[in-house]
Amino acid sequence: MREEQQDNQNQIKRSKVRIWSQGEYFDYSLLFIILFLVGFGLIMVYSTSSYTASLDYGDAAYFFKRQAVFAALGIVSMLFISRLDYHILKRFTVLAFIGIGILTVAVLIVGSAGGGSTRWLEIGPVRFQPSELAKMAIIMYVAHATTNQVWKLNDWKVLVKIMVPPIILTAFIAIENLSTAIICGVIIVAILFVASPRYSHFVVIALIGCIGGALFILTAGYRSERIDAWLNLETHPKGYQTLQALYAIGSGGIWGKGLGQSIQKMDFIPEAHNDMIFSVICEELGIVGGVSLILLFIILIWRLMAIVMNARDLYGALLVVGVLAHVAVQVLINIAVVTNTMPNTGIPLPFISYGGTSLVFLLVEMGIVLSVARQIKIRK
Amino acid sequence: MTGVKTYNRKKMLVLFCMILAVAMFLIGRLGYIMIGQGEYYSGKAQALHERERAIKAPRGRIYDRNGVVLAGNRPVCTISVIHSQITDPEQVIQVLSSELGLPEETIRSRVEKVSARERVRSNVDKAVADRIRSYHLDGVMVDEDYRRYYPFDDMASKVLGFTGADNQGIVGLEVEYDSVLQGQDGYILTVTDANGIELANTAESRKEPIAGNDLYTTLDANIQSYVQQEAEKALIAKEAIGVSIIVMNPQNGEIYAMVNAPEYNLNDPFTLNTDAVYETEQERQDALNQMWRNFCINDTYEPGSIFKVVTATAALEKGVVTLEDTFVCPGYRIVGDRTIRCHKTTGHGVETFRQGIMNSCNPVFMDVGLRVGTTDMYHTYEQLGLMSRTGIDLPGEANSIMHPQEEVKEVDLAIMSFGQSFQITPIQLITAVSAAVNGGNLVTPHFGMYTTDTDGNPLETFEYPIETGVISAETSATMRGLLEAVVAEGGGSRGQVEGYRIAGKTATSEKLPRGNGKYIAAFVGMAPADNPQVITLVLINEPTGIYYGGTIAAPVAKRIYENILPYLGLEPTYEAEEPQNEAGE
Repeated sequence: MREEQQDNQNQIKRSKVRIWSQGEYFDYSLLFIILFLVGFGLIMVYSTSSYTASLDYGDAAYFFKRQAVFAALGIVSMLFISRLDYHILKRFTVLAFIGIGILTVAVLIVGSAGGGSTRWLEIGPVRFQPSELAKMAIIMYVAHATTNQVWKLNDWKVLVKIMVPPIILTAFIAIENLSTAIICGVIIVAILFVASPRYSHFVVIALIGCIGGALFILTAGYRSERIDAWLNLETHPKGYQTLQALYAIGSGGIWGKGLGQSIQKMDFIPEAHNDMIFSVICEELGIVGGVSLILLFIILIWRLMAIVMNARDLYGALLVVGVLAHVAVQVLINIAVVTNTMPNTGIPLPFISYGGTSLVFLLVEMGIVLSVARQIKIRK
Repeated sequence: MTGVKTYNRKKMLVLFCMILAVAMFLIGRLGYIMIGQGEYYSGKAQALHERERAIKAPRGRIYDRNGVVLAGNRPVCTISVIHSQITDPEQVIQVLSSELGLPEETIRSRVEKVSARERVRSNVDKAVADRIRSYHLDGVMVDEDYRRYYPFDDMASKVLGFTGADNQGIVGLEVEYDSVLQGQDGYILTVTDANGIELANTAESRKEPIAGNDLYTTLDANIQSYVQQEAEKALIAKEAIGVSIIVMNPQNGEIYAMVNAPEYNLNDPFTLNTDAVYETEQERQDALNQMWRNFCINDTYEPGSIFKVVTATAALEKGVVTLEDTFVCPGYRIVGDRTIRCHKTTGHGVETFRQGIMNSCNPVFMDVGLRVGTTDMYHTYEQLGLMSRTGIDLPGEANSIMHPQEEVKEVDLAIMSFGQSFQITPIQLITAVSAAVNGGNLVTPHFGMYTTDTDGNPLETFEYPIETGVISAETSATMRGLLEAVVAEGGGSRGQVEGYRIAGKTATSEKLPRGNGKYIAAFVGMAPADNPQVITLVLINEPTGIYYGGTIAAPVAKRIYENILPYLGLEPTYEAEEPQNEAGE
C-alpha cells in the first residue's frame, strides 16, 4: 500500500511539468514582425472602415477601436503565454480537442447566423467563432499525437490513426465552413509531413485530398456557384465582391493612391476591412505596398521555420509547424482569393483583417511559438 | 524527449519552399493585375466612381436681318430624384405631385426606383422649379436647362422649324444650321461612393458648356409678319387650302419672307393646326408631317402661265421672235394631231408678241416655243436653274420633274411653252424669273446671312454662288419691259401699286388630274420694274370661287408691295395720274 503510494508519487514527480519556462532566448525579431503586422493591420482597418463606420455608426473609429481592444488583449496573452512552458499544453490537448469538438457540433445546432453560414457561437456577451479555436486544438492534438508515435510514423496505419480524430473534427467544420476546414486539413498534413521521414504517403494524401475536395465542391450548391462566379467574374452576380477587389488592386499602380485615398473602400467593396482588406492595401500603397506585405509574411514564416529547425524538441517544433502552416495557408488563400486566382472563400488575412477572435487566437499561437523559441539552446 | 532530426529540418525546408513558390506565384499574379491590367481595372473603377452631370449648352439664337430674335431660349428646369438621398419619400411624392401636377403613382414609381438618378420631369417652368427648390427636400435635384422658344409662335414656322427634346433641330433652318446653333454640352465629373453620394475633397473636373453660335437670317420680321397676315387673309377669303408667298431680293437671292399659310405654332409643334381627328397614330403623324411641310421648296407643281416668262426669255435669247412679230390666235392651235385651246376660247385675233404676253395667249407661246426648239428650250431651262435644285439652305428641297429631253415631241414642247406637263417648285420658279429680270444672273435663294458668337462678334459670313450671264443683259431688259407691260396694261393689272413701276406675270394652273376644278392661282411681281429690288411670288392653293391668278393673287401682291416698298426704302417714282388700261387675262 505504502509502496504503491510511493510509486504514484514518483510517477507524478517524473511527469511533473514546469509552468514557467526556463529558457533564456527570446526571438525579438519575430516579436517585432508580429507587432509591426498588428500595428499595420490596425492602421489599415482604420483606413478601410472609417468611411463606412462613420456612415453606419457615426464613429469613424468604430471598427478600429474594437480591433485595438482585441489587439491589446491578444498581445498581452501572447507575451504571457510566451513565458509559459509549452509542454503544459500536452495536459490540455485531449480536453481541448474534445471540448472544441462539442463546440463545433453545438455551433451547427444553435449557432447564430453570420455571413451566410452558421459560424458564430454566443455565450452571454461573448460571441466567437469556435472554428478559430479548432485550428489551435488541431495543432495541439496533431503535434502531441505525432510526437508520441514518431518512431512508428513509417507505418501508414499509424499515420492514419493519428489523422482520424482531427479529420472527423475537420469534416464537421467543413459542413458550414469550408475555408476553415481547408486550413485545418493543411495544418494536419503539414505537421505530419515534417514529422514523417516518408514522402510517398503524402503524395497519396494529396491525391485523396484533391479528389475528395473536388467531389465535395461539386456536391454542394453554393460552392459550385462560387466556381461559376470565379470563372465568369465580370458577369456573375456573385462575382461582385471579388470584381470590386480587382478594381481596387488594378487602381493602385506602382505606389498606390496614398494611405487613406482608396475610393473602392467607399462601400464599393462590401466590408472592405474584412477579407478583402488586401485589395485596399494594394489600392492605397500600390504594388510596392502589396509585395512588401507579402514579403513581410514570408519573413515571418522564415522566422517560424528557423524556430522549427532549432526547437529543443520535436513537440515544440511540430507546434510551430502547425502555426506556420496556419498563417501561411491563410495568407496565400486570402491573397489568391483577392486576386481572383481561386474561387472566393471567406478567409481573413492574418493580423491585418478585422476580426477579434481571429486576431486573439493568432496572437495566442504566436505566444506558443515564442515559448518554443525561448527554450532554444544556443550553441556556442 | 524526442529531438528534431535532420529529415525533419529537410522537410521543413521543403514545406517552406512550397510556400515560397506559391507566394512568388501570387506576387507575379499581383504584378500582372496591377501593372499588366492596371489600366483596364482602374478605368473600370474610375467609370464606376465618376458621375457625369451634363451642363447643357444654350442653343444659338436665330435672328432676322435686323436683329429681331426669331428663335431664342427660355430657362426651364429638370426635376430629378436621387433615391439614396431621399429621407422623406412621402413628402417628396406629395410635393412633387402637387407642384408638377403629375399623378402620385407616377412620382412614386420614380421615387421608389433604386437608381443613381431618376428624371421626374424636364421642361418645368422656372417659377415652378424655384418653388420646388424652396422646400429644400433631400434627394430632389433641380437642374436648370434651356428650352427653345419662338417669340412669334407661328411666324415663319415652316422656314425656322423647331427642335426636339434634346435641343436638336428637327425641321427647317434648325436642322440646316444645327451644327452652328448646337453648342457643346459641358459636364461636371464628380467622384461618388457606391451609393452615389458625392465625396468631398475629391478633385472635381468640370468642362464649361460652349454656347451655340447665333444665326442671322435674311428674313425681315416686319415683312414676314405682314406677308403672313396677307396670306392668312387670302386663305380665309378664298377658302383655300394654302397660301404660299415668297418675297425675295432678285439681285442676290436674299429671302425677306417666306410664308406658307396656314402656319403652325413652333412652341407647340406637335399639336395639329386643324380640328381634324385622326384614327391612328400613323395618320396623325402623317398630318403633322404635312403641317410642317414647306410648300415653297418641298413640293412641285405645274407653274402655268408664269412659265411663259421662261419661254419668252428662251425665244428672245435665240432671237426667234421680236416684240413686234405678229401672231394670230383663233382661240386654239393645232399641233401635230392635237387641238390645244387658248384660255380665251374666242381667240385673241391678230396680236404682236408683246400683246401675246400681255394677254397670256397660249397659241402665241406655242408658236414661239416651237420656233425655239427642244434643244435650245432645255438649254434655257438649264441656264435658269430649272433642271436642278436651287441650293436653298433648307432641308428637303424638291427638284423639278421634267420630260427627258430626248422624249419631247412637238406637242409636248408646245404645251410646256405655257407651263404645263411638268412640275417645278415655287422656289425654282421665282429664282428663274429673277434671273430673267435681274440682268441675267442666276442667284441662290437663301436665308442664312452670317453667324456670330454669343456676344455678337461676327464669325462666318455665308457666300452663295451667283451664276452671272446665264442670259444676256439685253434679253433681261426686254423681259423687264414686257413684264411691266403685263402689269401696266395686261393681265396683271390688279398688281399695280400706285406710284411704283411693277412688273409681273399671272398664272392660273389647273391641278392634276385635269377637270377636277382645283386650281393654283399665282402672281409673280417685281419692283421697281426697271431695276427689280424685290420679287414676290403669291400662290393660292385651291381657292374657292374665282380662281384666276390675275384676279385673286395679284391683289395680294399689290397690298404687300404697298406696304413693303416704302419700308424697303424704295421711293415712288411717279405720281399716280396716268390712266391705266383695263385688260382681261
